[in-house]
Amino acid sequence: MNGTHRGLNRTLLGALGAVLMVVGLAAAWAGASGSFARDWAMAGTRAWAQTQQQLAEARIPGTGTSWWTVAAFAAIIVAGVLLVCWMASQDTGRSNQLASREGAGGNTTVDTAVAAEAIKEALAGNPQVLSAKAQSWKTPGTGGATGLKISVQVRKGASPAEVGAAVDHLVEGLDILLGTRLPVLVRITSGTRSKFARTERVA
Amino acid sequence: MRNQDSSNPKLVNRLNRRETRSSRAALSITVAAVLLLAAVWLAVELTLSATGNAALLLPPAELAQRSIALPATTIPGALIAAGAAVALLGLALLAAAVLPGTKARHIVANPRSAVVVDAQVLASAAARAARTEARLAPEQVTCSVGRRRLDVVVRPVTGRAVDTAAVRAAVEHEVAGYGLRRALAVGVSLNKPGDKHGAVGA
Repeated sequence: MNGTHRGLNRTLLGALGAVLMVVGLAAAWAGASGSFARDWAMAGTRAWAQTQQQLAEARIPGTGTSWWTVAAFAAIIVAGVLLVCWMASQDTGRSNQLASREGAGGNTTVDTAVAAEAIKEALAGNPQVLSAKAQSWKTPGTGGATGLKISVQVRKGASPAEVGAAVDHLVEGLDILLGTRLPVLVRITSGTRSKFARTERVA
Repeated sequence: MRNQDSSNPKLVNRLNRRETRSSRAALSITVAAVLLLAAVWLAVELTLSATGNAALLLPPAELAQRSIALPATTIPGALIAAGAAVALLGLALLAAAVLPGTKARHIVANPRSAVVVDAQVLASAAARAARTEARLAPEQVTCSVGRRRLDVVVRPVTGRAVDTAAVRAAVEHEVAGYGLRRALAVGVSLNKPGDKHGAVGA
């Protein structure tokens, strides 16, 4: 439900994977074939000579460094910043507000905590439910609308149908209360707590 | 509050799809961190060499020359092994990019909300249905849920008959009640203690 750019993740991982494969295969081939190893050394030496020449031509007056070195440094810094942005873009889009409306008298906002507390309260008495929580996220594909994610951790052996029906009922109530139908994601999960909790013997 | 109906089937489908597949977030963060480390090291080395200081590991010019001389200075076998390892790493990243990365979760058909259930929840619920039908203790029934199959293994104590058909019917009835988007084929098997060599009393 979060705003992670999944396509971007996969594209970048795929591109890097392709680069690593090419480099790896080239190295393996250089180890296996003597002529390819000689080609590698020849091409590398020629490229290095050219680079040296370029570096010498673009020397910054009065110093031993070249403009190319400065450019390379800048490129590395930019790449680093982009990498940090990529890392920071994961799991984004969490929001504290469930809904808001602008009116003549002012703005009305509904905090996520309202829905979260209501849902927790409503499911607290359910013997099949260990814990419940609600978060709101800016849902991709809705033009920035907020969606509600309800996670319910259930006891071992709990019926997903019954828990699902109970949550459905809550969502219906929330729809009426808010006067709008938010995108809702319901997760029925089992975690470490479910593993160690007592089985509910209702049946 | 927007006056749009945000519970349209397309959006529900999208939420379901995103929730049942890996976002590759953890792998992306790991890869980005490694690349960032390399970028920082390169930047530091460039600065050190430009200002005429001693390098941390090796200056950029030497790095370039060493990689040119790599085939000539390395044992061919080691070069092949290292190249293969790097290529395999690349293949793994490519696979992560291309494969769907489906998680052990199932989608419940629901017109209003996207509902996603852990496979483990389904397994323990089906196991409960099976042991209620066969009147067994929780430890005597195990259940595993795959993408298309749900397998129940019943291990009754010696001398106790279990009606496999009734257990299957009970589990099928239970699973049908979940309204899963992708139906699960139910398999029930009996694992009698005396069936396998030396398992008496196990």
